[in-house]
Amino acid sequence: MHIPDGYLSPSTCAALYAGSTPFWYASLNKMKRRLNTQAVPLLSVFAAFSFVIMMFNLPLPGGTTGHAVGMGIAAIVLGPWGSILAISVALAIQAIFFGDGGITAIGANCFNMAIAGSLMAYAVYRVIAGGAAIESSRRVAAAAVAGYCAINVSALLAAIEFGIQPALFHDASGAPLYAPYPLHIALPAMMIGHLTIAGLAEAIVSGGVVAYLQHAEPALLRSTAPGAAIAGESAGWSGTRPLWIALGVLLVLTPLGILAAGAAWGEWMPEDFSSPAARQQMAAASANQAPPAQAPAGLQRLATIWTAPMPRYAPPMLKSPQFGYILSAMAGTGLIVLAFLTGTWIFTRVRR
Amino acid sequence: MKTSFVERTIAGLSNGMDFAAFADTSAQARTGLLQRVDPRVKVAGILALIVAVATTHSLVAITAVFLLAVALAVASRVSPMDLAKWVWMPVLLFSGLIALPAVFLTPGDRLGSLPVTAQGLRTASFLLLRAETAVSLSSLLVLTTRWAHLLKALRVLRLPVVLVVILGMTYRYIFLMLETALDMFESRESRTVGVLEPADRRRLASATVGVLLSKSYQLSSEVHLAMQSRGFRGEVYLLDEFAARSVDWLWLGFFFAVAATAAWVGR
Amino acid sequence: MGGALMFLVENAVFRYQGVVALDGVSLEIAEGKRSVLLGANGSGKSTLLRILDGLCYPESGRITFRGDTIDQASLERDEFAQAFRRRVGLVFQNPDVQLFNPTVLDEIAFGPLQMRWPKDDILKRVEATMATMEITHLKDRPPHRLSGGEKKRVAIASVLVLDPEVLLLDEPTAALDPRSQSQIIDLLIGWGGGRKTVITATHDLGLVEDIADDCFLLQQGRLVAHAAPSVILKDEALLRAANLIHEHRHAHPSLGLTAGEHTHPHAHRT
Repeated sequence: MHIPDGYLSPSTCAALYAGSTPFWYASLNKMKRRLNTQAVPLLSVFAAFSFVIMMFNLPLPGGTTGHAVGMGIAAIVLGPWGSILAISVALAIQAIFFGDGGITAIGANCFNMAIAGSLMAYAVYRVIAGGAAIESSRRVAAAAVAGYCAINVSALLAAIEFGIQPALFHDASGAPLYAPYPLHIALPAMMIGHLTIAGLAEAIVSGGVVAYLQHAEPALLRSTAPGAAIAGESAGWSGTRPLWIALGVLLVLTPLGILAAGAAWGEWMPEDFSSPAARQQMAAASANQAPPAQAPAGLQRLATIWTAPMPRYAPPMLKSPQFGYILSAMAGTGLIVLAFLTGTWIFTRVRR
Repeated sequence: MKTSFVERTIAGLSNGMDFAAFADTSAQARTGLLQRVDPRVKVAGILALIVAVATTHSLVAITAVFLLAVALAVASRVSPMDLAKWVWMPVLLFSGLIALPAVFLTPGDRLGSLPVTAQGLRTASFLLLRAETAVSLSSLLVLTTRWAHLLKALRVLRLPVVLVVILGMTYRYIFLMLETALDMFESRESRTVGVLEPADRRRLASATVGVLLSKSYQLSSEVHLAMQSRGFRGEVYLLDEFAARSVDWLWLGFFFAVAATAAWVGR
Repeated sequence: MGGALMFLVENAVFRYQGVVALDGVSLEIAEGKRSVLLGANGSGKSTLLRILDGLCYPESGRITFRGDTIDQASLERDEFAQAFRRRVGLVFQNPDVQLFNPTVLDEIAFGPLQMRWPKDDILKRVEATMATMEITHLKDRPPHRLSGGEKKRVAIASVLVLDPEVLLLDEPTAALDPRSQSQIIDLLIGWGGGRKTVITATHDLGLVEDIADDCFLLQQGRLVAHAAPSVILKDEALLRAANLIHEHRHAHPSLGLTAGEHTHPHAHRT
């Protein structure tokens, strides 16, 4: 998502510009060193390509359409550094010339999409593709997953950037000055759309283009496939076991989230306002400002509207919080995907 | 009738080209006010205004800058209707939709019996007004300055020359790509009878992207040869075309004064 | 009229993606001569032009320009490369490839900027060249708003501004409307009489006699004939073998001509 002006405070914008600059410089130097005189025309034409791709409506399962950024393709064909630059240039032109994305937010958008997105896509692609032959289906899958992860990482970063705005930047009356939704609204709001539609679009385009290039122009896939097996020698799916193990380890480690002290900022329950321990936590997390003596009236009313089936992420039946956490993570993702698939299934039935 | 993704893409691509044509024409209006100002002054000044709008805590200041932007646009032969069509409406649809729930969800002092808070209204106003004003300002820049000049003027922000050259070349080849993509989609559109199966649709989209990618690679190699043929050995240079007049300095002063006031009023 | 030896090509062999584009071509170009590389698509004429311009190097054989060898090593030397790039100019077949700057003015100024000429000189030369090519009114236009003929003229201008001794042109009249074509042909004719060394690659038989004093016939990467244009153009068997003409039957009913022997109608400008 292209963040417009006014959603992020100037200090946030400045921080993200500062964060992006070293990557921009490093990328430019690496490209010049690798490609010498060809860097300028290659980056320019690819940035133009990137720009145009972002305007494509891509058909998705269920009859919907979505837009992709092309992080996966750019990272796989140009490598991470070229991708950082090409997408950054495309984003800059979109912002300056077409008003798509803010001018003060160019640093933020580049950081989320061009930089984090490219690096994530490249890393995931290399890890999953391993040494598979250029023509293998494993590379297509690797590209799809890489695109999916990259766009979701970008969305996650954007969601965090939005989510911290209300707490940090509000005026004297308490009205947020920039993005008005705290983390617990911003995160699901952003992620749901990207875990489903945008993620699928990116996955389909990344995988689809790699599949196309495999038979049309395999040479373009070579720069990010060092040590690729020659066709015929099977590298196929063997050797992916370490990946599944890594995924499993990650799932098991998610309970580390519990260790993050106490409740997330802003996610308190009305009872917390009366408990001294919780009050201390609130104060500590809010720059030592004492919380009001009673829970705000609005909070009290809203808190009882919805009782989540998995309060505090622990299904009631399970005793172990860690196990409950993992289960919730899996269930949460699964629910989102299920909801999306059901929705589109219904939608297509209705339309026919 | 449901529009296919091909039709929607064609519409999107054509829209992009139309806006570029509109901007180019607008930037050449001889009787426009801002068209005659030094591009470097416009870049620095309008950027200062955008930053001020982003920084200030005063809704009044933001509104004032917005009105100034509209006035300058009209004086530069840009009609409010055009601004509304190309700039305000898209932002309203996007940011308006995002700002709306905040009116109800932001904690604070309730207004009468409505589920709306004063803080919610303020916050939504900030979001929407800032977004609209910022885009109006950047449109002013784009609609009164030819892109080639705008790029060169970016040097005033200490952007490296190689980056300015890349931006220029990218912009130039965007149009070639847009045309190529449009041709590919339009020829496919005319050859397709009936509705494609979903898998075929995805394959068509991927193949189009893939073909564009191959052409991009080929194009970049050829351009590289053409550059070398005329002496390119890695160094890029820009032809410096600007000469500031005294009235341009006045404009610079004006922009900075307004920006400083807006920021100070809402500190 | 024999001038100095400009180009000497000795047994050049060039392969591209496994296909042999040039299969041991040898030729000489004298100063001030206008030559045509005549051949069908795939005959190797474009490759030969690029080799003459030092944009790619043969895998065996050698090229010299005024006695200096043109290869990767020699073009790494700054002074030599700069001089060579100025003295030899190539007009590509696809003008979009050659117009990579945001405006026509920037495009024509690109070469002089690379030569590090002083800014005032550059502006003067650019303006003079635009006047010669009649494109002054286009100077602030971006390339995507130019017609095919305009693009071609800008491309030629961007090379001419450097005042090269040698002009290499790859299919200069391809994809142009008739009026633009005749403008280009006029230019090529105007460089006759020893004013410039011109080498044009084309498959258009109608051009050859007007624009060249010397003709090299290429077929599948080999030089199969070298003679005056009139000689080569009369040799139907040779042209057919080189895939430049073919037999067909047709009539011009509107002019009352039936199928069989007839000449093709066209207009002359004296």
